Amino acid sequence: MATIIINGEEYPIPEGEKLNAIQMAKRVGVEIPYYCWHPSLSVVANCRMCEVEVGSKDPKTGEIKMMPKLVPGCQTPAKDGTVLVTDSDKVKEHHRMIMELLLINHPLDCPVCDQAGECGLQDYSYQHGQANHRFVEERTVNPRKDVSSLIQLNADRCIMCTRCVRFTREITGTAELQVMRRGSHAEIATFPGVTLDDNPLAGNVVDLCPVGALLDKDFLHKQRVWFLSKHDSVCAGCAGGCNISVEENKGKIWRVKPRHNPHVNDYWICDGTRYGYKAESAPDDLIPGMFALDKDGEHVATPIDQALRKVDRGLKDAVVDGKVVAGILSPFLTVEEAYLMARYLKEVTNAAVLAIGPVPFKGEDRTYAPDKTKGRSGDTTFLDPKPFTLYAEKAPNARGVRAVLEHVQGSVVEYDDLLKKVEAGEVGALYVAGGYIEGWIDEATAAKVREKVGFVVVQDTKVSALAHKADVVLAAATYAEKAGSYVNVDNRLQYAGASLPPRDGSLPGLDLFAILLDRPGPARSGEVLAELAAKAPAFAAAAGGVIPEFGVVLGAGAPKAEPPAFVDAWFAPMGAAKSR
Amino acid sequence: MRLDDPKLKKIEPPKLSLADRFYLPQVAAGLKVTGEHILGVIFKDQAFTVQYPEEQHVPSPVYRGVHRLNKDEEGRPKCVACMLCATACPAHCIDIVGATAPESWPDREKYPESFVIDELRCIYCGMCEEACPVEAIELTGLYDLTGLSREEMIFDKTKLLSVFDVTRDAEPMKFTTPPPAGTGPTQALESPVS
Ligand code: SF4
Ligand code: SF4
Ligand code: SF4
Repeated sequence: MATIIINGEEYPIPEGEKLNAIQMAKRVGVEIPYYCWHPSLSVVANCRMCEVEVGSKDPKTGEIKMMPKLVPGCQTPAKDGTVLVTDSDKVKEHHRMIMELLLINHPLDCPVCDQAGECGLQDYSYQHGQANHRFVEERTVNPRKDVSSLIQLNADRCIMCTRCVRFTREITGTAELQVMRRGSHAEIATFPGVTLDDNPLAGNVVDLCPVGALLDKDFLHKQRVWFLSKHDSVCAGCAGGCNISVEENKGKIWRVKPRHNPHVNDYWICDGTRYGYKAESAPDDLIPGMFALDKDGEHVATPIDQALRKVDRGLKDAVVDGKVVAGILSPFLTVEEAYLMARYLKEVTNAAVLAIGPVPFKGEDRTYAPDKTKGRSGDTTFLDPKPFTLYAEKAPNARGVRAVLEHVQGSVVEYDDLLKKVEAGEVGALYVAGGYIEGWIDEATAAKVREKVGFVVVQDTKVSALAHKADVVLAAATYAEKAGSYVNVDNRLQYAGASLPPRDGSLPGLDLFAILLDRPGPARSGEVLAELAAKAPAFAAAAGGVIPEFGVVLGAGAPKAEPPAFVDAWFAPMGAAKSR
Repeated sequence: MRLDDPKLKKIEPPKLSLADRFYLPQVAAGLKVTGEHILGVIFKDQAFTVQYPEEQHVPSPVYRGVHRLNKDEEGRPKCVACMLCATACPAHCIDIVGATAPESWPDREKYPESFVIDELRCIYCGMCEEACPVEAIELTGLYDLTGLSREEMIFDKTKLLSVFDVTRDAEPMKFTTPPPAGTGPTQALESPVS
């Protein structure tokens, strides 16, 4: 078996992966500091922070020969017989020197810098730097400038790692950024007349920047990062299901960052996801509570239990009258919500018609397919490029809802078919579960539905045309307020945790259905999923209600064990935050 | 640390002598101290108490009373809204809303749009003062803090800056030049909370 010697200890090298020294050392718990290296960008080895002592062991004689000079760890392949020394005095002195050089022109304005708390310079200064500053000349001052309407560059904080430049060249292939001038005058800039505005992945350069040079203007100066609680979630903006971390403080979402998932979004998210939280959690147009029509046809605020009793009675009355009960399950419901809703309506009457809500489409799929050669400027041996797609299908769970309906009802009724039934006056009671980010029903359709259907329940997050006309309006949770799982375009079932508590007056759909179903205890998505997985073969992969970190493909076998998600060292929780 | 830790040093209480066990010598010594104080007040005017409020007490220079927000040479709040004081505060009584500094402050990047301290929740530990990287927040010697309602005791930016105006002469800032006298609290952008 291939082995590597790190700081005197021998470790086996995992097979089937091409790792460099930094990655290999990290696997065995040895930290090699770095700035410019990123697993998806080509290696340029320009920050010199990861230099370590490298040597090799002769397989025959067992003799170890070290190279006379330090070598960048990002460029050193972890192969059989490689010897790494990361903690010798020579290496430590080198780290100290690099830190001193990087900080020569640095403004050190951490108190007003948004990166403070998750800054590579800060962290490594503590670990490898020195307390005194010997540079007495005047520092170069680079002005602040905008590289797009959403991203600001504080050039004086930049350490010239060129991660941002490589991202625009290698991943999006748009190459808006460049290094202007040379030496100590070097500066990141956009090409004349070009901005990052048209790049839908532009926000990622902010995440890539190891220091506070590229800053998100949406988040600028608003919060300190150590106040934020991070919640693992999945984006509801399109069918891709990008893994995100929703960061919240004081009951408010402040920013959304990507989480690494090699099978879905790799390291990136689009700006739609990044800034989408605003549209989705803007309190103004969210339904503030439960409402029911009174005798005069006015909506009055109703306590949750009464509203739900009305729903139950209305639906059952329709059954007694011999009318058809129908349900519309929007593709924004989680798998668990869809399952409980379907079960509830089937319990009201087995003849209930369950339809999937309209699936919104916008534009066309857009794929970025970085490869090993295009735009690459450095060493690409360790790369494993993955495509990133922005899907035109703007709903997170159409496949999940369909799969649930197939299981409960045997087939899926399309929205249009249901509308035809409604128009024919066949439907006596209708339960609509929405959750759409954008308006989904127009005034005319809503009026038609109202006219033909005797009893309409709308469970939604935003006020839609139909909500104004419904007999009962139930305030459900936004994607940030509910926990559950979604099935993305590749049939990958992924779990999204709740980031915020349900807002006042609302309840997550899961709880609403649990009450309607008389399910005892709080409804936990894991338990509901376990129930579904036990009954529906399509969801067998989620047995026990537990979904692995990177999700699981429905219908495929059990997922292989995988290395943990990549997180840049400075974003990894440290100290007290680790135990939180 | 565990009880059997070898680094623990065990200390026995001192043994009492026969005189100690009678307690009378200690009683006499205590009476002597009390007597000295009584006589000192009567004959030498050595009282520690003052006739408050006719006579004002002057606290020690390190006394920790009501907060103030210092102003810089131009009368702007020195605070850069780094929120380190709010982070350090064990009582969680500081609430700051940071914002990008206005264009007219080219030397500044960030400033506090709102800065609120709940003086009732504050435990006057001085951690905020200690944490501040720019000496913007200080605890003054003002100790007679009263109010008619809880709301009144929640100090906003304007109020905290005005505490600076009141105390600037009695307690000058330790590290930087204060703004010229007469710069009112108006230089600070209007606080949305008041
Ligand atoms: S980039 Fe890092 S070291 Fe530099 S000012 Fe910002 S937080 Fe401080
Ligand atoms: S702006 Fe940030 S990512 Fe770009 S080169 Fe500078 S430090 Fe690196
Ligand atoms: S620590 Fe000082 S500069 Fe920072 S927010 Fe508090 S008062 Fe302002």
